[in-house]
Amino acid sequence: MDTPQDPVARTAEEVQVFEAAKIEKKTHQTRMILFGLLILCSTIPLFLTLGVPNKPTQSTVDLYSTLMSVPDNSTVLLQTDWTLSTRGESGGEFEGLMRVLMRKNCKIALYSMSDAQAPQVAIDEIALLLNPERKAKGEREYKAWDDYISLGFFPNAEGETASMAANLRSAWTGKKAIDVQGQEEDVFQSPVLKNVQTIANVPLVVIITATNSFNVLIERLAGKVPVIALVTGVMGPESNVYYSSKQIQGLAIGMKGVYDLETMMEEGINSPGKDGKVAFEWPNHPPVAGFPGETNYGRGKLYFPTLHIDMTLMILAVIFGNVGMFMAKKRGNR
Amino acid sequence: MTFSFPNGSSGLYLALAATLIVGFLAMFAMMSMPARWRRPVVATCTFLAGAIYVAYYLWPKPQAFGPRDIPQNFSESVGSYLADSVNVAGTISTALTTFLLGLGIYSLVRIHGRKLLRMQKDWGFSLVLLISMVAIVIFGYWSYWQTKFGPDAVKLQLSSNWTWVNYTNDFLFDGLLQQMESAMFSIIAFYILSAAYRAFRIRSVEATILLASALIMMLSLMGAVEFIWNSHLPATGFAANFQITEIARWIRDTLQTPGIRALDFGIGLGALAMGLRLWLSLERGGVSA
Repeated sequence: MDTPQDPVARTAEEVQVFEAAKIEKKTHQTRMILFGLLILCSTIPLFLTLGVPNKPTQSTVDLYSTLMSVPDNSTVLLQTDWTLSTRGESGGEFEGLMRVLMRKNCKIALYSMSDAQAPQVAIDEIALLLNPERKAKGEREYKAWDDYISLGFFPNAEGETASMAANLRSAWTGKKAIDVQGQEEDVFQSPVLKNVQTIANVPLVVIITATNSFNVLIERLAGKVPVIALVTGVMGPESNVYYSSKQIQGLAIGMKGVYDLETMMEEGINSPGKDGKVAFEWPNHPPVAGFPGETNYGRGKLYFPTLHIDMTLMILAVIFGNVGMFMAKKRGNR
Repeated sequence: MTFSFPNGSSGLYLALAATLIVGFLAMFAMMSMPARWRRPVVATCTFLAGAIYVAYYLWPKPQAFGPRDIPQNFSESVGSYLADSVNVAGTISTALTTFLLGLGIYSLVRIHGRKLLRMQKDWGFSLVLLISMVAIVIFGYWSYWQTKFGPDAVKLQLSSNWTWVNYTNDFLFDGLLQQMESAMFSIIAFYILSAAYRAFRIRSVEATILLASALIMMLSLMGAVEFIWNSHLPATGFAANFQITEIARWIRDTLQTPGIRALDFGIGLGALAMGLRLWLSLERGGVSA
């Protein structure tokens, strides 16, 4: 940007231009400092394990209760509409959800209606993160075909979800997956879907999304089967509409939702711990057990302090911006 | 009605070939058809496809009617027929939508191929795009074939047995594509911070209300602030309404959600009107033009 070089301005107009340019230059410098602070503040907490106090919200309490009410060994449909672009939020939600479902030995049929890459991202998360974690603890690894299957990507969400609601078997006719012998078989032959006849046979449909793809799912499936949603912070306000009207049974929003879920996985709800004390109390709610001592904390606990610092930085940015504006106005008036 | 053939049977391949030929013939017939005949054909297909969904939505649904149950009366027969038809219409529309992916690839190759051949401005980016696309397609399908149908398919399920093809595919997908998506998305943080600093200004009463609401919502998301704020207030009684989480909840449930719901309602009405126009082929443009 060009700034007037002559410090001794001759006319009032030139003085104004010179002052404006000076303020603009200062604003630019402050912005660069803020960017530098953002990089530092966002990265340093990632190397520390800080326990920040947290009280889960009502929507996440409902989500956890619904999730824990799913019978063990049952089949859950998982619409996974996220990729690593939102891994901080969606990745944490996926990992927390999968840890709970895996501990309940639930079978999972995953698919995407929003992004062709999404099923592969979910499979990679299971294969490269969650299975090694289970193996290290001497637990059974989750196997494709026996424990989960990927139905792939459906490009026409509206038509496909309407078909799923009408007749699930017919909607997925012809879908194949590789069985444990390496043979291509119909997905309904797999242990995951062999007992599923209609959508009503599924105890829960879960959607993890970074877009508004929950709209179609809720419009077509809510009321026929319990639905819970795990969304990004950006999609929070829009999805809250469905939660407040009780069309979905639970909702986790953004990084706070991830940490809420992890907190309840560790502490349960109104559930006494080993010392007999209830770590997380929620009025008028039946006790729901957690998994104390297990690997419950992940991205939520890791990123929550960063969220604090970044929010603080944003508040400071707004304050500095407004102070700058008032100072510029004051100078202008003089 | 569903046609089914065993996997790998000659009947399956015959049906696939026949479907392909019929599809191409139908496409050729549509393209060579005079424009004045094309419109009624498209309008009829659109109306019939839409009518299935409308009828399925409006027709009473038989209670506890399983996919293997036999209809007992006229109402159940129609309901069952419509449920089957919805699946057929859904499958056809999914297949048609899939063509859009092919159309997207064709469009990308055409635009960037032309740019590359004519050495137009920034042709280097087009070259990178095309090489990346071809590489990920080749290694993607190669790796898929190896892990699903190859002689060592079962062995390759374990990453410790992967071949260089699987590693290359993993590097391209997880190592490059996904990481670059993350990097692109994380840049938004800088834009948000910059916008907060430069644009979020108290210039009017409305802006001040917006700023105050945003501040409360941000503070309510910070567990540490929530802990300190709420610890100074009782958990019950009138004063409990001034807990940061309660104020945020009030803003969300009383101001934000009804506002979004009103917007959604308006969008829904607009979509209904637009849907009716499309269904009845009243909308000008496309084939009607």
